[in-house]
Amino acid sequence: MGVISEFRKMGKNGSYHQTLIKDLKRINEKLQFLGALNESLTEGIPFTVKDNICVKGFEARAGSKILGGYVPPFNATAVERMLAKGFGFLGKTQMDEFGFGSFGINTQVQARNPFNPDKVAGGSSSGAAVATAVMKYHVAIAESTGGSISNPAAFCGVLGFTPTYGTVSRYGLIDYANSLDKIGIMGRSGDDIREVFDIIKGADRYDSTCVDTKVKGEGKKKLVVINQLMKGIDEEILSSFDSLLSQLGEMGYKVEHVSIDSITKAIPAYYIISMAEASTNLAKYTGYKYGLQRESFTEKYNAFFTGARAAFGTEAKRRIVLGTFVRSESVKDKYYTKALQFRTAITNKLGQILKDAFIISPTMPITAPDFEQAAKLTPLQTYAMDSLTIPPNLSGLPHISFPCDYKRRMPVGAQLITGHFNDYALLDFVSEWEKRFEYRFKYSLGAI
Amino acid sequence: MKDSEFDRLLEICRLRLEPSERERIKGDIDEIIGYFGTLEGAEGAKAEPSYHPIKVPEKLREDKVVPFENSDLLLKGTKTHRFYVIGPDV
Repeated sequence: MGVISEFRKMGKNGSYHQTLIKDLKRINEKLQFLGALNESLTEGIPFTVKDNICVKGFEARAGSKILGGYVPPFNATAVERMLAKGFGFLGKTQMDEFGFGSFGINTQVQARNPFNPDKVAGGSSSGAAVATAVMKYHVAIAESTGGSISNPAAFCGVLGFTPTYGTVSRYGLIDYANSLDKIGIMGRSGDDIREVFDIIKGADRYDSTCVDTKVKGEGKKKLVVINQLMKGIDEEILSSFDSLLSQLGEMGYKVEHVSIDSITKAIPAYYIISMAEASTNLAKYTGYKYGLQRESFTEKYNAFFTGARAAFGTEAKRRIVLGTFVRSESVKDKYYTKALQFRTAITNKLGQILKDAFIISPTMPITAPDFEQAAKLTPLQTYAMDSLTIPPNLSGLPHISFPCDYKRRMPVGAQLITGHFNDYALLDFVSEWEKRFEYRFKYSLGAI
Repeated sequence: MKDSEFDRLLEICRLRLEPSERERIKGDIDEIIGYFGTLEGAEGAKAEPSYHPIKVPEKLREDKVVPFENSDLLLKGTKTHRFYVIGPDV
């Protein structure tokens, strides 16, 4: 039984929520994972929302200075559906600016890892993972473009579920890359994630890319490991992964290794597409419509916008420049169109494997690094950290990261991928895994 | 990338960089573009481009005028004079 059902049975209201908020504020001083907090919450199962998803009346910065002071006058569809089912909005969670990062450090407030505050929480849904790792009765609504749910879930030792692209409405999500963005869920059990997924999925008239296709749960007994994805992974992680495969073997799963050469092109293809889309999405931040308000209305058009856009962080500026470049008429076919072709090729290849198998891998090539180590990486080294999470994200395939081991007191995550609209099979799998493996949490605020 | 090309890109992007930030981003960009170039000629380059990872059915609204819900909220957060949005000088 998940914590949601447990909480409903207890029927805690009023003073429970106020005590939780007090405890959260205290721990937030150390871990810095929260944004705007709903201090008047008195009922409902607490849920947090990543700061790039709109909640009426609460500031939504998406981790950026340029959106400072933006208070959405509406709820995202996913939030509206949670509230309608009696969940209580607790607060917003920190993230890398617009989702541009793998460590939660490309923003002003950097969430810290609950297992060791000197280490990063992952990114970009850093705050959502920390919130899930510190609270017992809680679920987090997060978002992934290239691995922003799996990555912090693995670093913080929680479950991170990214559904098939298009199953959850993106209405109210502050866009990073429209053809890649997916709203998903972090939680402490497969049962909790299933309950939330049932609530937030389904077509929405406000999002034309959101579909009503039936979601299945066809289990597979074959697990495929893609050889090319296993390069560059820390020895420690590899040993945890080997142990996981042995345990799954005991549970009746058969492991098969395959080679897919084109999978190594997923990273450049992903970054080209995501930067191209981001560079157009970020054009709307001009200094007078959302968030940051410039007063210098006597300035000419271009000077005014250029002045406002100085508020973007370095990674956002880098991605705007690169995204604009790859869309340039003279090079578009060489980069952007080619990346879209690779998306098709990789999606078809993975689709063939997933007809009768799951794909399994570690979630991240390392355990959570120190802040100092993460800051020293070059952009290309940072992008390479996403090598395991990008393939399913590029192809819009559902995937889940689940804790499978602990090394030097830090959690290790594994990632399972299935075919489009077979999302429930992932949740069935983790429910089975949870009967065998006990997750460890450093804190359990709100536990009765 | 030549300085002149980089400056032209910044102008299109409406970005002005401080000297240290400019040096840092300009330095990274050549390396990243080189990496992006590894797609050229690689296997898979002949597939049809996909603009979405799944098939998104064409869902167009009926071609008729409908009142926009909460239109007043669109201007919330902007500086307005009567019903005009105040913006920069054109």
